[in-house]
Amino acid sequence: MEPVVRISNLVNRFGDNVVHDGLNLDVMPDETLGLVGGSGTGKSVLLRSILGLQKPTSGEITVLGQRIEYLKPGPTRHWGVLFQGGALLSGLTVQENVELPIALHSDMPLETRHELASLKLLMAGLSLSVADKYPSELSGGMRKRVSLARALALEPKILFLDEPTAGLDPIAATEFDKLVNYLQDNLDLTIMMITHDVDSLFGTCDRIAVLVDGNAIVGTIDEILEHDNEWIQSYFGVPRARRAASTGVRPDRA
Amino acid sequence: MENAYLQVEKHHDSLKVGLRNDWVFDNVSDLEEATASVVSSDGLPVIFQCGGLQDIDIAGAWVLYDRSQQLAELGIKSDFEGFKAEHFKFLRNIIDMAAIREFDEDLDDEPPPRPLHGSIERVGQNTLSAFEDIGFIARSILDGTRRPLTLILGETIKQVYETGVRAIPIVMIMSFLIGIVLAYQASAQLEQFGAKIFVVDLASISILREMGVLLAAVMVAGRSGSAFAAALGTMKLNEEIDALRVLGLNPNQILVVPRILGLVIALPMLTLFADVAGILGGALIAIGSLDIPTVQFVERVKYASDMNDLMVGLTKAPFFAFLIAVTGTLRGMQVEHSAEQLGRLTTTAVVQSIFLIIVADAYFTIIFTRLGI
Repeated sequence: MEPVVRISNLVNRFGDNVVHDGLNLDVMPDETLGLVGGSGTGKSVLLRSILGLQKPTSGEITVLGQRIEYLKPGPTRHWGVLFQGGALLSGLTVQENVELPIALHSDMPLETRHELASLKLLMAGLSLSVADKYPSELSGGMRKRVSLARALALEPKILFLDEPTAGLDPIAATEFDKLVNYLQDNLDLTIMMITHDVDSLFGTCDRIAVLVDGNAIVGTIDEILEHDNEWIQSYFGVPRARRAASTGVRPDRA
Repeated sequence: MENAYLQVEKHHDSLKVGLRNDWVFDNVSDLEEATASVVSSDGLPVIFQCGGLQDIDIAGAWVLYDRSQQLAELGIKSDFEGFKAEHFKFLRNIIDMAAIREFDEDLDDEPPPRPLHGSIERVGQNTLSAFEDIGFIARSILDGTRRPLTLILGETIKQVYETGVRAIPIVMIMSFLIGIVLAYQASAQLEQFGAKIFVVDLASISILREMGVLLAAVMVAGRSGSAFAAALGTMKLNEEIDALRVLGLNPNQILVVPRILGLVIALPMLTLFADVAGILGGALIAIGSLDIPTVQFVERVKYASDMNDLMVGLTKAPFFAFLIAVTGTLRGMQVEHSAEQLGRLTTTAVVQSIFLIIVADAYFTIIFTRLGI
């Protein structure tokens, strides 16, 4: 199977600080890959490199077979991105935010566009009463859902989530995890997700990539839990993580 | 009857519609057309046969579902059969969602309007509506948007409205007051020589050639230069710029170009308004305080200044506008990490654009003098 995202020999260096040192990572079709790592290990830099928003020092990245180049349009029609803060366009309403990608990439009739956008809002678990609101009128959790709806607008093949549950209360975070699982099960989606939330990691991911020393250690949850790397041991060894590991594994995948 | 996406067969008890090819997002327009042609004239039930379907996604399933709903409204039953499991889940999803939506709509009944509030609101709305109409036109152009070019056009109109139309009152008031000041100051000196009629020359020439455009430009630098820097800077901090790029839009095209274009259109227009208001300010003093008859004032303005003076001022306006817009947007795009930096760069944008305006004005004066205009 061709990987959806292939990162080979990625190097990112800022001055003397080497963030990625020949990193290799493949994301396979239909999987949910969780990306973890301590502060400064370059999770966001990696995501930005994949999206073409960051110029890597060297290395090659392909997404859906297309080579990514800095600030050049990538496979924009086939990927969806949920930025950490939502990154909704503040001058447009919720509905317009979701419609914008559709308007850009399709010439479907206006009415169908409206309906499809509404549908995506519903899929993201929102009520249509928010459609005419502006992003500033929404709560953080709702903004993330709108952003998810926008990311889903073009029926993407791959979805990038940057800390989707950060800043949400535990109830909202659990709901968001459920939503991600639902979408993953029902749409033919590949998901790559940066997260700090161990519940979310165990609750949604098939495989985990841990960024350590400029490289990625990749494996299933069990493999990672048994890995003898020091950082991994201390990260998953803390009580919060142990508790999450014992309860959180997706029932259908345990 | 058949086309690339479906094939209709008429049976004695039903209309069988065989679906084929890819019912996906990219083909939605064609799918809409195709499904619209499915008409059951004699009320026979329609059966969508999905066995031949290659691929279907939410958008395609929606078109299918939407048609079946439309048929239901006409009293025609429709059914789906032969779905592959992995395809059917999309349709099932839609049906679930649509059920939620109908439930949702029931809840969203508008609360009854309160009469008193209503009437006050109406008064406010009527006064605002003249302005809002323009905003609405811009918005509806944006609404019809499909491709970046139309989006840029819509944004440009919005910017002309924001930076130009909305600045008219303040620019006119400022210019009017400066007109008064100029005329007053001149009259104090010129009256000593019994040459008070030259007050008109001084006020009209200086306003048309210099003050009108400078006042408008400085006001716009403070109003819109800072707004550009702050807006783009905030968008940068909110990752909105990144989001645009990821959607395949070039932020420079869609945010920077409309602002530059909008201001280049708006500032000459504002300059005209400033010119008119400035001369009116001068007229107030000349006619009211110096006892120059109105007719004589008008004659003197015509005699002292000509089309050249007006054009000198207006020629400078687009250049000033360009400087303001480029400085503002550039500084905004340079914001990278913090709100503090955003504030600093916004200030920089205003200070630098006003400085650049003055420098450019000096150059223009030299050039125009050399050319003898």
